[in-house]
Amino acid sequence: MTKWLKELTKGVVVSNPIFVMALGLCPSLAVTNSLDNAVGMGAAVIFVLLCSNILVSILRTWVAGIVRIPTFIVIIATFVTMVSLVFQAYVHTLYESLGIYLPLIVVNCIILGRAEAFASKNNIGMAIADALGMGFGFLLAISMIATIREILGSGSLILFSNTLFSLPVLSDQPISLFLLPAGAFLVIGLLLAFFRRTGLIKNE
Amino acid sequence: MNLSYLKKFYSIIFLTGVVMIAVTLLGLTFNLTEEKILEQEHSQFLAHMAKIFPDMTHFEYENDIYILYNEEGLEGYAFVASAAGYSGNIKIMVGLEDKETVKGIVIMSHTETPGIGTRILDPPFISQFEGMEIDLIKSNVDTLTGATVSSKAVIDAVSKVAREKVALLS
Repeated sequence: MTKWLKELTKGVVVSNPIFVMALGLCPSLAVTNSLDNAVGMGAAVIFVLLCSNILVSILRTWVAGIVRIPTFIVIIATFVTMVSLVFQAYVHTLYESLGIYLPLIVVNCIILGRAEAFASKNNIGMAIADALGMGFGFLLAISMIATIREILGSGSLILFSNTLFSLPVLSDQPISLFLLPAGAFLVIGLLLAFFRRTGLIKNE
Repeated sequence: MNLSYLKKFYSIIFLTGVVMIAVTLLGLTFNLTEEKILEQEHSQFLAHMAKIFPDMTHFEYENDIYILYNEEGLEGYAFVASAAGYSGNIKIMVGLEDKETVKGIVIMSHTETPGIGTRILDPPFISQFEGMEIDLIKSNVDTLTGATVSSKAVIDAVSKVAREKVALLS
């Protein structure tokens, strides 16, 4: 049980997929221009990661080594397509603002990386803990980046069409650089530097 | 038949099995969501249309043109134009009051640069089209400073497609 909890919590801080392992930077740069997008992407990744980790873990004794990677990709692609159909049907605006980055979860290195490095070597319980931990770590990291970018880039913070707060000066003259890809690099870089400097996250 | 031969076949059969299960799952999800997706797209389309024509009650569809009616009679025409923007396609819904004047336009989808190209969505630009004569669009609608490519693409597409559709109507 303690081992299970350890696997669950390691993804959030100790080996956070974005801030420590620097995996999945493509979606974390592209869809963090608003908190809504980040939360939607995070939820999609958690679901896909959980399902693929479970399935890969179940199949791990039968999977033929030579077709290991194609099998993982087929499994991941299936769940991603299911998620994108469900998003299209029930949260259409989110589907449109995530655009190409939703189907691109297929090649998100966090998911393939966890399938290959963890789920294919551990039992189902551990795989679930790993998926949840890594998934929430990813969600937390991109939400953090998105919050900073949205506040600086548009002067307000909106979650599911509720305005959490808005800054009068910034919403008149937003720093639109932070909504552009360059702003994402700046925010990720500064956050990484901050976490390393303060020792919150250590190099592995 | 030696063992390594069988092993090769095993991987083929295994992958085929996985793919077949995946296809079944996908087919199932598609069947469950198909109706809802069409419904969503339709309601979004109607919402765009209602932005230009708030009084519209029903419409007919012919040659890619929506002929709209209100309670008293003919309300106008609507159609979809697409333009090559700065970083992808811009889909625009154009509403005509009659065969000469634009009632308004709505940007349905786009992938323009946030904060720069996205200004084509906002009133100072988009409201220029309201009540504009089709023949005067190109000369009288101003492009946006700093977003010339995006705004010019919209202007050109609206003007071109509107002329084509009016020619089809008369």
